[in-house]
Amino acid sequence: MDLLRMSWTFLWLSFLCIGGGLGVIPELERQSVTVHHWLTAREFLDGYTLAQLTPGPNMKVAAFIGYRAHGLAGGLLAAFAMFVPPAIVTAVVAHRWRRIRGRAWAMAVERTLAPIGIGLMAGGVYTLARSAIHDTFTAGIAVAAALALALRPVPPIAVMLAAGIAGWLFR
Amino acid sequence: MTHPGLARLTAVFAWVGLASLGGGRSAYFHDALVTRRRWLSDEAFLQDLAISQILPGPNFSNLAVALGFRLAGFAGAACALVALVLPGVVILLALAVVYLRGGFNPAAGSAMHGMGAAVVGLIAVMSARIIRAGLRERLAVLLAAATAIAVGPLGLPTVWVIAGASAVGLWLHWPRASEALTPRGSP
Repeated sequence: MDLLRMSWTFLWLSFLCIGGGLGVIPELERQSVTVHHWLTAREFLDGYTLAQLTPGPNMKVAAFIGYRAHGLAGGLLAAFAMFVPPAIVTAVVAHRWRRIRGRAWAMAVERTLAPIGIGLMAGGVYTLARSAIHDTFTAGIAVAAALALALRPVPPIAVMLAAGIAGWLFR
Repeated sequence: MTHPGLARLTAVFAWVGLASLGGGRSAYFHDALVTRRRWLSDEAFLQDLAISQILPGPNFSNLAVALGFRLAGFAGAACALVALVLPGVVILLALAVVYLRGGFNPAAGSAMHGMGAAVVGLIAVMSARIIRAGLRERLAVLLAAATAIAVGPLGLPTVWVIAGASAVGLWLHWPRASEALTPRGSP
């Protein structure tokens, strides 16, 4: 029963990912940790970090949550609910996009959703920062990672590995 | 523009997925499909990028679906999605098994703390780049800022924030009668 409720939750959450998965992180955490208790806040952050570390879209963190709550079936069903329904919508719209996008109302929708997507993304950074940064050490690592990426075209994975080594050495 | 077979498409999309450690980003697809293989024009790529950002759903997989559809129809879209998502999900589940059994020793826990903090720095910079590229008009800045504050510091439920911001944005952007009289292309 809870498996069904979880699939349904991830399905509607997947349709809230406007402007990338980051936008839906606050609500994903609220639903998974506070509302349904599928995992703890600490596990959520670790799961999100693992999802970042592993190849592919970050939103596969849904598979981690699903696995934590209901084992392998939960993990696979969660990934299915998160990725497949929006993909079907995308394929259908891609099919018809050329005719839709010339219309005035489509431009209005485009100009409305783009900034909302960006705002959701920025809110997601805030939420994640609040759970991951709790002292000067973690704040320092975040700033160093930001500077590394902003100043040089380093691959993000190299920054992540360096931060992991720093955490391992100095904590 | 050459059109790859399904097997070739699946292989290339799987490779893009596997190479996108640290969070999938559209730039990986641009590099693989436009710069290296010339399967798509810049214009076609940018159109699909817009589609994937506007439509609901995880951006990176939606972009894969739109590009896969353009290259090989619905079958291409399906192959693109599976190739991009499935390898990462399998790897993540394998790590989840180890993590949740407490198989990571305290050193791994400290490493995870460090990486969790680094993620914040990385996504802050990536988001700043998207903000710089995507927010031009004052109205867009206000809408984005209000949305960010509502879901971030205020912690309001995302559904209501999206509904409210969409209503305001559509009301302000909706085509007026004078604009509606201009030709629209197809009926």
